[in-house]
Amino acid sequence: MIGLWHFLAVGAVLFGLGLTGLLTRRNLITMFLCAELMVQGVALNFAAFGRLHGQLEGQLFVIFLVAVAAAEAAIALGLFLTVYRQARSLDVSLWQQVREDGVEATVDTEPLPAERSRPDLLEGVQLPPAGRRPRFQPEEGVIRV
Amino acid sequence: MFPTPAQLEALNWSLGSSLLQFLPEIALCLGIVTLLLLRMLPKGEQVATGILALAFVLVAGVAAALQVMGGTYAGSIFQGMLTADAFATVFRLVLLCGTLLVMVLIQASRLSEPWEAADLQVLLLGSTLGMLLMVQAQHLLMLFIAVEMAGVPAYALAAFPKQRSVGSEAALKFAVFGAAASGVMLYGISLLTATFGTGYLPNLVNAIAQRGLDLPVLAGLTLLLLGLGFKLSIVPVHFWCPDVFEGSAAEIAGFLATASKLAAAALFLRLLHSLQALQIEAWNLPLTVGLPLGIIAALTMTVGNLAAFGQSNLQRLLAYSTIAHAGYILLGIAVISSTSLPAVLFYLVAYLFMNFGAFAAVTWVRQATGRVDLEAVRGLVFRHPAPAVLFTVFLASLLGLPPLVGFAAKFQLFQAVYQAGQAAPPEWPALKMGWWTLLAIALLNTVLSAYYYLRVVRRMMLDEPPVGEPAALAPVASSPERLGGLLVLLLLLGVLVVLSGIYWHPLLLLSQIAAQTFI
Repeated sequence: MIGLWHFLAVGAVLFGLGLTGLLTRRNLITMFLCAELMVQGVALNFAAFGRLHGQLEGQLFVIFLVAVAAAEAAIALGLFLTVYRQARSLDVSLWQQVREDGVEATVDTEPLPAERSRPDLLEGVQLPPAGRRPRFQPEEGVIRV
Repeated sequence: MFPTPAQLEALNWSLGSSLLQFLPEIALCLGIVTLLLLRMLPKGEQVATGILALAFVLVAGVAAALQVMGGTYAGSIFQGMLTADAFATVFRLVLLCGTLLVMVLIQASRLSEPWEAADLQVLLLGSTLGMLLMVQAQHLLMLFIAVEMAGVPAYALAAFPKQRSVGSEAALKFAVFGAAASGVMLYGISLLTATFGTGYLPNLVNAIAQRGLDLPVLAGLTLLLLGLGFKLSIVPVHFWCPDVFEGSAAEIAGFLATASKLAAAALFLRLLHSLQALQIEAWNLPLTVGLPLGIIAALTMTVGNLAAFGQSNLQRLLAYSTIAHAGYILLGIAVISSTSLPAVLFYLVAYLFMNFGAFAAVTWVRQATGRVDLEAVRGLVFRHPAPAVLFTVFLASLLGLPPLVGFAAKFQLFQAVYQAGQAAPPEWPALKMGWWTLLAIALLNTVLSAYYYLRVVRRMMLDEPPVGEPAALAPVASSPERLGGLLVLLLLLGVLVVLSGIYWHPLLLLSQIAAQTFI
């Protein structure tokens, strides 16, 4: 018979896996997915307790949880994209420009294998224009359309 | 499970009064929508979005001020999801003041390029909206949403202005750490709600009082406070703070160091004081919850102060000073008594002015010299006396020298801790010793912090200015009128810090109004 404790146990395992992954992984996207895994473990907890107490409150929590997690993911992925454009890598250990005074940057003894860049994939790809293109005039700083 | 017609009727009836209490938030929401849609209109891009956003915050602030002055509070609104008591209303006013200051600072220093100004303002407004909800939350669901609403825009804010790579790094660290912290907080919330079957705070507190602090409750509370502690940057979860504050722009760091901390502290206060209000004899809250929190507070201030010693970057130094102040605040929160509550509230408001002043001064230094390390301020007083003196005032206030507001705040806070030790019941000798030991640690820490605050002051006041200007690492503001606006803001903050250090009355009154909710 599957009872409340089974749900809570699976939720706890998901949460623990997420936390472990967040602390051990170094690919930014994997790290963030691990954070999401933590949230999903919590969502399972909420759904189980809603069923236990016979209320909708637990499910309500889950809906808001999913929505907020999506918002968080959107902003985090946007950030990762900016970061990727600057470093051409998702390795989190590359980002140690900001650190304590007098502490040397840690040297990576086992760097991630270099990503195969496929410039041929991007050749010939053109996005269709979306509306009129704004012309930047940095001297005045005002966008004229 | 579903509302009955009578309940729906009650919902309709209470909606009007709830919305009236919600005016400041509605003003902020209108501001967000207007700023986002403005650029779709013809010539919409030429509108000065900064001034517009400032106007919306001003309207929200006036609405909040009117509610404080009106003196009548609606209590539970929106079916108990939020509460509009004196505590929340005063905090809303203070938070809106903080946002107003940040926006004026951003206007004065022109942090953003014109085409991204609207984004910056929208993110600021959104984060402020989350904080306003944080201080009013009366349901764990609302609490979670509010914390996320305050946090998620702040991740993006840390990356402004976009072209700096240290900004991206700061935002990256903030976002990943923040996502993990919110996961931990959620797990705590799920344990609490799963145990009691409700997220409504008054019911939850009553249920905890009846059940006692057993394992699921203790685990839930610990995880919840850990997640909130991330916002307040208390010791096991403070690592993000120095990196984020160093990497982001000084204006944004000022916002994160003041308004965001205030909202988190308000949540701590609300949770602990609603527990204390029940007066449960059986489990002596100051001993079971207060003293452990006090020990964490002592750790926080010691770590913050010691780590600040060797810093050469002004923003990183102020970040560690912020951690130390979070420790003092948490010590006041941990006391959980009727004398400590107004003292903490006074401290929080004073802290808003002086810490924000310090970050505004760093902004000035950055705009004038193009760098934010100790070298930038060497002999500053010989080149630019006014900002150097004002920066000194803020640092002295953070240190707690009389007659500045920092002294008034620290004095009341430490007095409250001393009184807690005095009032401890004789059958708990550990409690008396505990509070007095913590007080001694806090006093020692204040003395220790003199070293790094005064080191900056010595660098500004006593050291010879370098021959020629130091090499700028960032673009320097060329036109003098940009720095004039900044100087006026600095002067205003400086006057506030000095005046409210001499006349304690206005802040005292404000903190007593807020404290009446729990006393």
